[in-house]
Amino acid sequence: MAYEKLLLKNVGRENSHTLDVSLKAGGYQALRKALSGMTPDALLEEVKASGLRGRGGAGFPTGMKWSFLPKTKDKPRYLCINADESEPGTFKDRLLIERDPHLVLEGIILSSFAIDCHTAFFYIRGEFQKGCRIFDQAIAEAYAKGFLGKNILGSGYDLDVLTYRGAGAYICGEETALLESLEGKRGLPRIKPPFPAIVGLYGCPTIINNVETLANVPFIVERGAAWYAGIGRPKNTGPKLFCLSGHVKNPGVFEAPLGIPFLELLNEHAGGMLHPDRPLKAAVPGGSSMKILPANRCDVLLDFDSLAAAGTMLGSAGGMVMDSSTCIVGALLNLAEFYEHESCGQCTPCREGTGWFTKILHRLETGHGRREDPDLLLDVARRVEGNTICPFGEAVAWPVQSYVTEFKSEFDDHVTKGACPFGGAAVQG
Amino acid sequence: MPEPTPPAPPAPAATAAAPPPDLPAAGPDEVALLIDDRPVVVKKGTTVLQAAERLGATIPHYCYHPGLSIAGNCRMCLIEIEKMPKLQIGCATQATQGMIVRTANQRVKWARESMMEFLLINHPLDCPICDQAGECRLQQYAAAYGKGASRFVEEKIHNDKGVPIGPRVVFDGERCIKCTRCIRFCDEVSKTHELGLFERGGHAIIGTFPGKALDNAYSGNTVDICPVGALTWKPFRFRARVWFLRNVPSVCTGCARGCSVDLAVYDHRIHRITPRANPAVNGYWMCDLGRQTYEALDDRPRLERAEARVAPGAPGPAAASAVPGGAGAMRITPAEAVDRAAALLRETAARHGAASVAAIVSARLTIEDLFMARQALRAMGVTRVVVPPHESGADDDLLLRRDKTPNARGAAIAGLGRPDAAAVARLAGDLASGAVKGLLVVGEDPAGDGMVKPDLLAGLEALVVIDAWRTATAAAAHVALPATAPYEADGVMVNFAGRVQRLRRGVPAPGLAEPGWRWLRELGRRFGLAGTWNAATQVFDQAAAECPPLAGMSYRSLGATGAPAKEA
Repeated sequence: MAYEKLLLKNVGRENSHTLDVSLKAGGYQALRKALSGMTPDALLEEVKASGLRGRGGAGFPTGMKWSFLPKTKDKPRYLCINADESEPGTFKDRLLIERDPHLVLEGIILSSFAIDCHTAFFYIRGEFQKGCRIFDQAIAEAYAKGFLGKNILGSGYDLDVLTYRGAGAYICGEETALLESLEGKRGLPRIKPPFPAIVGLYGCPTIINNVETLANVPFIVERGAAWYAGIGRPKNTGPKLFCLSGHVKNPGVFEAPLGIPFLELLNEHAGGMLHPDRPLKAAVPGGSSMKILPANRCDVLLDFDSLAAAGTMLGSAGGMVMDSSTCIVGALLNLAEFYEHESCGQCTPCREGTGWFTKILHRLETGHGRREDPDLLLDVARRVEGNTICPFGEAVAWPVQSYVTEFKSEFDDHVTKGACPFGGAAVQG
Repeated sequence: MPEPTPPAPPAPAATAAAPPPDLPAAGPDEVALLIDDRPVVVKKGTTVLQAAERLGATIPHYCYHPGLSIAGNCRMCLIEIEKMPKLQIGCATQATQGMIVRTANQRVKWARESMMEFLLINHPLDCPICDQAGECRLQQYAAAYGKGASRFVEEKIHNDKGVPIGPRVVFDGERCIKCTRCIRFCDEVSKTHELGLFERGGHAIIGTFPGKALDNAYSGNTVDICPVGALTWKPFRFRARVWFLRNVPSVCTGCARGCSVDLAVYDHRIHRITPRANPAVNGYWMCDLGRQTYEALDDRPRLERAEARVAPGAPGPAAASAVPGGAGAMRITPAEAVDRAAALLRETAARHGAASVAAIVSARLTIEDLFMARQALRAMGVTRVVVPPHESGADDDLLLRRDKTPNARGAAIAGLGRPDAAAVARLAGDLASGAVKGLLVVGEDPAGDGMVKPDLLAGLEALVVIDAWRTATAAAAHVALPATAPYEADGVMVNFAGRVQRLRRGVPAPGLAEPGWRWLRELGRRFGLAGTWNAATQVFDQAAAECPPLAGMSYRSLGATGAPAKEA
């Protein structure tokens, strides 16, 4: 049975970012349906029943997150849309924002309606200048058409959506750092609890959802939770955008039901390996912060629970493929440099640990490694993991742990040879 | 050779098979919890760190400060809480009913050891030249919780050192552990917002915002709360190793707030003044002006010996000799000086009537001085006592008071009345008219402070001054008696809000200076004042017996943080 594209159904069309094209393709039908007959609670229950899980990285059930809002309504509630897509290897939200902003916007309006929010903030990565321009235009079109503003479609429901461009920090994709940044402060993660659903933006109850998560909501509303839950695998329902980059023929964003085999994504969607004579060495199916899988363990299903069982995570589904020419130490050094650069510097283990990783890895890659260095990397990673304010600690500790554990002999080779067996291409300058 | 495998982090402690010991009953606003198997009941909202302190257990921490908001960034207070998979920070985790906390097991020790190693990898370890050495949390915790060795063999991150980020504070970017206490102080307490965290990751650095300096009235507190040697107090830099310092608990005499302070004494000198926590007066803080009040002890010319002055040609005392007090000044023995002062005042009263003799007494003096002044003046029959006000600036909403007299309420309690500018003006008028011919001045400098025109004093027949400083008034006096300065004598003061607190002597007075009350006692005795007072505590005991607001108080009962005056 051929899979019917949902999230990317408009993406190939000409001018897919305009309201006209969106409406012709059935855009905002779900909004009409919800505002003309559904209560917010019914919508929330529908999302719960669909089994939709957050697409930002952690895979937390969306409906459950919404239901954490306090029952009392003495303060305004806010929806923040996390469009700060910064995970290396992840570029799915960008596609939706630039090519089908009205699908995202419809999801935002529906979700705001469900949680009784009247002001939604679209926090978009600073580098996405084009995306922000397109999204601002989409918002303007929606206001003109009565999909936003006062008394939306005559329902009496009011909603304003504002865009806010970040300033280029990876950490601002962490939801509480995002809130700090949105409040005009330095983007530092907050200590939790309290969780944002209780004390969020400007001290008010706040829900933070990923762009792709909200793009699923119109389909759930339009066709029902039961239909939606039929896509994918049990507890891992719905369509999913998978990014694939690295040594593949056709890198890009691919839509498939959750649970598609990784090898199918690689070979059929992305056209297989880039060089026929260089076989798959390893892949990170979930994005740079997730654990690496060596080739012999890459026969996995791409969904939250299957990947967790395989010892990694779906994350933001920013898959990265490495062929046999890849130096794992160099790849890890590259990642470590990224995390060292992006650590916010707030808490001790991350601030100090990320720089330490880089220094050790740099020594290894340039042939100055010591025999104890791989174990030192593992030990330092254990001391970072779980001891930080935000999940950044894991985001750096997990790659370090898995790269070293899975490819220990390659690290040892760097030490015994006193040089990078692959030529040390990762070290620049 | 087998590869050495790194030790795995200790696993979470298994839930005890046996039911936990019974928790004590908790009231409606309380929770009962177990910390290291010891039960404790605390108010709801109390953090685990505070609950542990209640038990006398230490949870080490850098960024937590009871006077500031919670930052949770140093991660030194990680502790284990049963049923929570990750270690939690004790500073931010609220105690809940039935919580089972472990603060000293292998896993917690492993985490502390980890944080110590992280904090030190980029720390310069320049303790031998660091002013903080000896009172540095990094040193204390490295000894108590660290491993004693580092596995870090790389080049450390270098940063700016010796940066004058304010007129009184110097910053060292390499020693800094980014706990942000100083930033939070400037945001939350002084509300002056000069400091921020700049850059990211290991290169994150504390600094001032563009165009700003750390120049507020309370900047010294950032140095106190800096747990390491990153912020140092300019006047104290490279002055003394802290282990030589003896902290004498006392009270700041800079204004009517009377902050509780510690006088850091070494080699008979005060080297710095830092706040001593007192929730009833100053919380954890004090102002920069107060920190510098001791500098006068070194800088301002002192009156060190009794001096007498006679008109040219008049017969002087037998022991007279040339002294630095200027033309006509003679040094005489203390007893002769008091005799002479008493004779001058007595003769003036006899010549012009009792109303021709007045006194100016300072509200900067202790209760002991003021009470003895009251006794002596009564014996002398002097009824006109003026207490001059000293005001400058304005009350702010933190500590600083417009009233710069630290014991104005004490002056009223001792029966001398409150500072009164109108009374000063009337006295100046009577000096000009010649109605006042004799003046006893204690701890004030009416000529130097502009209260009266200096040439008016020249017309006096008796001018007796008791003061610590070689002032313009003292220089014009017929008899000048050397008194102790603040921090040189024991005593009691009452702050603007009625808090009665003890000042303790930190350093000896120079020369033959004596506490003011001793001179006043001697002067009073020349007029028949009876009473045996050989120590400040005896004077205070009698003041407490005779002044209702001090009823029942003693040096012992005032303790470290004082007591409220009993107001009628």
